[in-house]
Amino acid sequence: MSSCDRIREQLSLYAVGGLSRRARSGIERHLRSCPACASELTALARTGDLLGAIAPRSAPAALLESVRREILARPRPPAGTRLRRTWRLALATTALAVLVAGGIFLRPHQPSAPPVATAFEPTDDDTPAAMEAHLAAQWSTPLADEAAVGLRMIDEEGG
Amino acid sequence: MNRESRTPSDLVARARAGDVVAFDALYLSCQAGIYSFIRSQVREEELAADLTQQTFVRAWESLPRLKEAGAFLGWLHRIAANLVRDEVKSGRARLEVIASEMADDPLATPSTQPGPEEAAISAGLQEAVWAAIAELSADQRGVVVMHHLEDMSVAEIARALGVRPGTVMSRLARAREALRKRLSGYLEDSDVKL
Repeated sequence: MSSCDRIREQLSLYAVGGLSRRARSGIERHLRSCPACASELTALARTGDLLGAIAPRSAPAALLESVRREILARPRPPAGTRLRRTWRLALATTALAVLVAGGIFLRPHQPSAPPVATAFEPTDDDTPAAMEAHLAAQWSTPLADEAAVGLRMIDEEGG
Repeated sequence: MNRESRTPSDLVARARAGDVVAFDALYLSCQAGIYSFIRSQVREEELAADLTQQTFVRAWESLPRLKEAGAFLGWLHRIAANLVRDEVKSGRARLEVIASEMADDPLATPSTQPGPEEAAISAGLQEAVWAAIAELSADQRGVVVMHHLEDMSVAEIARALGVRPGTVMSRLARAREALRKRLSGYLEDSDVKL
């Protein structure tokens, strides 16, 4: 494989800024002495310019009215109200979990009792709306998985 | 027009507090990007419009929990990407986009407020570029729209799609290479003003 072939393999990554400083230096050294590869890089750059010059497509005009109608049908309280309720409910959930866990471990073994998992009925927390709500909480604080517990409790209280 | 001016934090804050007018403004500033992204992923025009609507309705419902107002656009794309993924999984949406359909979408109109650069290229060239984009893979189309049309950074795109930044960079590079070949006739035309 010629040096030009090796450079060409990396040229698109170079054009989008995806190479390390060291790799970039090697390519730049080659480009100074190779008009063909330099010309290829110019073409890749012009392609990027073209992409930046096209206009996004607008959604159908009637969609705004549709969205507005939908959101007006979904009134919601201010953010602070829900947040305070979340923490209150999260504390209550933790306390409940401790009590339930204590009960499970302290209770004598009963073979005929239903499995622990069946004590919790399936909730609707895998509905798309609940998933998006959790996503919002996770986006703001990516490591706060406890957000899921709080959100579920809000939904249960709201429902 | 930069992204910050399109999704100012105060609008996000007001919408989060329940201000429908502020949310209307956010819709107007983000709809073209979101619709373009979804339209780049699903073939059916009506489905793309429906998913765009669902994206904004879900955003409205979940907005009170988004603490970082500056992350609104990326978060909105994540909602859109999740909706597209669910549609594809369910079999209702097809990822294949026919070039001619994407370039000549009868439901869609070019963004109403083109910037100076957008106005600099002809409608014919715009169609040619859209047609070339339509021939990319769905993954490549998604990152091209987000990066080049919406000016999202590689890190923002990675977060929105739930992939590594290196993956985004690699998709962008492969897309650039493929588009360079498909648009070579236009690139060599010295009359094309960029």
